[in-house]
Amino acid sequence: MLEFDQVSKSYPGGFVALDRVSFKLEKGEMAFLTGHSGAGKSTLLKLISLIERPSVGRVLINDVDLSRIRRPHIPFVRRDIGIIFQNHRLLMNHTVFDNVALPLVIEGFSGKDMVKRVHAALDKVGLLDKVRCLPYTLSGGEQQRVGIARAVVNKPPLLLADEPTGNLDPDLSKDIMRVFEAFNQVGVSVLVATHDLGLVARKKYRTLTLKQGRMINDGLLHLDEAPL
Amino acid sequence: MSILFSGRVSSGASAHKVGIARRFIMFWVNHVRQALFSLGELWRTPSASILTIGVLGVSLTLPATLHLLVKNVQQISDSFTQAAEISLFIREGTNATQISSLQKILQADNDIAQVTHISREQALSEFAQVSGFGAALNYLTDNPLPDVLLVLPKNTHADSARQLLARLSKERIVEFGKLDIDWLTRLDAIVSLLRQAVLVIAVLLLGAVLLIIGNTIRLSIMNKKDEIEVMKLVGATDAFIQTPFLYSGIWYGVFGGLLAFLIVEAMLWWLQGAIVSVTSLYESEFHLMALSFTEFFSLMLLAMLLGLSGSYLSVRRHISGIEPTGP
Repeated sequence: MLEFDQVSKSYPGGFVALDRVSFKLEKGEMAFLTGHSGAGKSTLLKLISLIERPSVGRVLINDVDLSRIRRPHIPFVRRDIGIIFQNHRLLMNHTVFDNVALPLVIEGFSGKDMVKRVHAALDKVGLLDKVRCLPYTLSGGEQQRVGIARAVVNKPPLLLADEPTGNLDPDLSKDIMRVFEAFNQVGVSVLVATHDLGLVARKKYRTLTLKQGRMINDGLLHLDEAPL
Repeated sequence: MSILFSGRVSSGASAHKVGIARRFIMFWVNHVRQALFSLGELWRTPSASILTIGVLGVSLTLPATLHLLVKNVQQISDSFTQAAEISLFIREGTNATQISSLQKILQADNDIAQVTHISREQALSEFAQVSGFGAALNYLTDNPLPDVLLVLPKNTHADSARQLLARLSKERIVEFGKLDIDWLTRLDAIVSLLRQAVLVIAVLLLGAVLLIIGNTIRLSIMNKKDEIEVMKLVGATDAFIQTPFLYSGIWYGVFGGLLAFLIVEAMLWWLQGAIVSVTSLYESEFHLMALSFTEFFSLMLLAMLLGLSGSYLSVRRHISGIEPTGP
């Protein structure tokens, strides 16, 4: 499904963000991506969502080499990937409904079909009663869940999350994780970048650990033998 | 359309089979919806919109006013083409029968509207009356004035009148013909100069309109940079992001054009009184011509086109330049 093949990314000035990273995420698999800030987590997610291109190596989704995707086709690739951002990136002057409906509007949905899907997505994250609210009237956890609803509303086969629990207290973080697990159980591949090691260790999921751009761990992470 | 996952149905329209007719209707419904949305966006930022529309209105008013000026001057010059009257001076010693037969021939001519014969005696008495030399003229032993045929051409345009003059001058009993047309040619030249000047000024001002709209749209793109980044991240194409801005450009054009029209109308209403008092002094009947419906329509169309192209130029440059920087 998602494959990194000897991927390196260096920025102008010589900073190496990723150094020969290789891994494979199977269809319907859920994995965590951990590491200190600056370890290359964000760069890795940017390569998948085509915000950045790798300097060396190949990123493949469903055996399609992303380097073959030309600029005009990037939007269509992004429609297949649900992205959840640390700072939510909601449109603050639009209602929760408008925010969640945005990917559907972009894809040409309208009318009842769109309303049905938006309500379904908001129901999954438990915010159906906030449809008409503006995002700034919601708490941080609720805003994050609106972001998740927006990412999953068009049922993408791959879900990426960048520090989705970054600013949340442990209880809310657990709630968010449960939402991800629920999506994973219906066959969505999920990759969650986080530095919340406690959260990762409690869950028995595959963990990819980056350190200074290198992949130093691929497998289960146990707190007591944390390689960081 | 899904590039990565074959078989994944993602487009709303293709999710269920939709007929061509319905798609066609939906296409227009979507466009109307986006147009109204853009109108709403202008409404939400009233001060900026009003300023832009005001500048556009004034910029469009100038060419429209100049156009009206040319049109009205032309109307004046048209009303003077009656003056394109040809005087044919008859050779001395021609008898009355010859003159009246020429008069008959000319009256039958297709190019000629009217022929009047002014005999030498009539001419002399008229001259005596008008010039005030009445008494002095009595001392003349014979009448020095020739017979004159006044010919009024059907086509009073300067060029055709000149052609007619050349033809009539060849008549045997005609000594020479005279067409008092020089001042008319001058007026024509001035009008055409005026028209050229108006054209140049209009082009400059319309260029300014283009730049103003382009800059306004650029500012609103910059204001919405975050929103555009988010839209790009969830898979919006450049075309999708562009459409509302293009509609904003068209709306600026519509309102700018309307404002220009209102200013011109108000100006005409204001000037009407003054012009009436001037023309009544000259005992001439002159109606100030306003913008016709076609002209109003062209003004609006031009304004909308300028709005569209101004925003298109801006949108092409700036929307592709905004790239999301990170998840």
